[in-house]
Amino acid sequence: MSENGLGRAAPLIYTLTFLIVLFLLLPLIFPIVLSISDTPFVTFPPKGFTLEWYGKVLQDADFTSSFSFSVLLSTTAACGAVLLGTPTAVGLVRLSFPGKGVIQALVLSPLIFPSLVTGIALLRLFSSIGSNDAFLNLWIGHVLVTTPYVVRTVSASLVVVDPGLEEAARTLGAGRFTAFWRITRPQIMPGLVAGALFAFVTSFDNYAVSMWLFDASHVPLPMMMLSLISRMFDPGIAAIASLMIFFSLFMVLVLERLAGLRRAMSF
Amino acid sequence: MSLDLTEGSRPIPVVAAASGVAARRRRLLPAFVLLGPVVVFFLAVFIIPVGLMVRYSFLQQMPDGTLSDTFTLANYIRLGAVDLYRNVIITTLRISLFTTIGAMLLAYPLALVIARGPALIGRAITVLVIAPLLVNVVVRAYGWRIILGNGNSGVLNWALSSIGLGPVEILYTEWAVIIGSMQVFLPMMVLPLAAAIGRIDPAVEDAARTLGGSSLAVFRRVTLPLSVPGLGVGCTLVFSLTASSFILPALLGGSFTKMLGTLVEEQILTVFDWPFGAAIATAMVLIVMAINLAYMALIERRFRSRATEAA
Repeated sequence: MSENGLGRAAPLIYTLTFLIVLFLLLPLIFPIVLSISDTPFVTFPPKGFTLEWYGKVLQDADFTSSFSFSVLLSTTAACGAVLLGTPTAVGLVRLSFPGKGVIQALVLSPLIFPSLVTGIALLRLFSSIGSNDAFLNLWIGHVLVTTPYVVRTVSASLVVVDPGLEEAARTLGAGRFTAFWRITRPQIMPGLVAGALFAFVTSFDNYAVSMWLFDASHVPLPMMMLSLISRMFDPGIAAIASLMIFFSLFMVLVLERLAGLRRAMSF
Repeated sequence: MSLDLTEGSRPIPVVAAASGVAARRRRLLPAFVLLGPVVVFFLAVFIIPVGLMVRYSFLQQMPDGTLSDTFTLANYIRLGAVDLYRNVIITTLRISLFTTIGAMLLAYPLALVIARGPALIGRAITVLVIAPLLVNVVVRAYGWRIILGNGNSGVLNWALSSIGLGPVEILYTEWAVIIGSMQVFLPMMVLPLAAAIGRIDPAVEDAARTLGGSSLAVFRRVTLPLSVPGLGVGCTLVFSLTASSFILPALLGGSFTKMLGTLVEEQILTVFDWPFGAAIATAMVLIVMAINLAYMALIERRFRSRATEAA
């Protein structure tokens, strides 16, 4: 392979790459720039420097309750997705049975099916069976859209685990579950962690299902942000956006450290 | 779906000695235990609700708010025949197409660096490409509102005026939605494309270069054709996601740039016309399915025929 693999066009490609990465980062940079502006309105360029907006937002009951609700919803949804998705991955990777392809397609289909429509279908279902518990409705919707991520990452790490080890443990007298828990589980831990984190992040960012199922006392963070954009004009909203950006970047670092981003994305 | 109990069942040696229904049942038991819950869950809260929603789209809302008890295509006819709604479909397809083309052009340099650049730089670019993906879409749309803001408050117009160019009005036009969608969905193009380029043997490109091919010729004649499968996956993803988005047209398109996502939200949550909303949602699913099927038909067949030719 030649020196850098990109040939003589390397300088051009690197310049373009720099500009395109800048384009990708633009909408993350400017909310942060404006969140420290000492002006009563969001306006560019920012004037002065203040952290007052962060203080204000962190004391705002709407924001803090929405944030803790989103953390609760996403944590429980990620737990549900791991509990549902892990056995699914084990079954799909380890077993051979008729109809396996259909089940695999079924379980992964929410990844390509428009989640906006999934949300509409769930709202229709919940209103016709009279399910008014917004938390339960949101939880079901979030488990549905996050389970495929767990199935994908856990399957990817199961494929490289030697099934002979678990069989050996069973020959030595371990039960099915013990053999899985003591032998296979430690080996698929990176996939499980990646899946759980990815489920959490996906649920935390979800609006397409949430927008149909939330109610006034259960408002996930993206829905609160959406309503604030149309009625809040001071840099407080830029501060909220910045906090959400910092939180996502923190999750990026955690994912990269614990699982490797590329693997978590399964590309 | 019918469960064919013979096809694909691989007998496990120990069990194979026993025969008949009992053995088959024992063989299928682990599958029921492991996959039963997920199948029941997905049928109950995904397949059946989507089916019920599609069924709803064939009913009609009467002026007094009750539903017709006969099936009708009225909602679909309304969606296709009324100018207002037909324009929404055309706008949706146009915005999705432009976004896909734009993302395709922007994705190649990044994918080349990820797949062919030095390992450290490739990894850094991967992280920089994925990081924005984990930032909430609402937040990113808000970022674009700050940048594209009309009048003097927007970052772009401030930058233009400082070099003596007049203000532009981009926010609340289709261009704002296209720019925002390109930024939001670009990673979905870059990642499969980088994976496809990574699978090309670098020796093939080196050989082309050794034989005197210019960088452009090598890219056009070798890298580009061989990266088509990844490009197809990326285009399918970007087109589908743009066509079914809500936040981007709602926050960047304003009231004049309606897409299917904003129309369905309005019909269901404001007008309460459930059957019409269900028809719009079904149309959205059909568009996404059509683009996926088109990809499978075009790209996979082309590559299969080429593979058989080569063999």
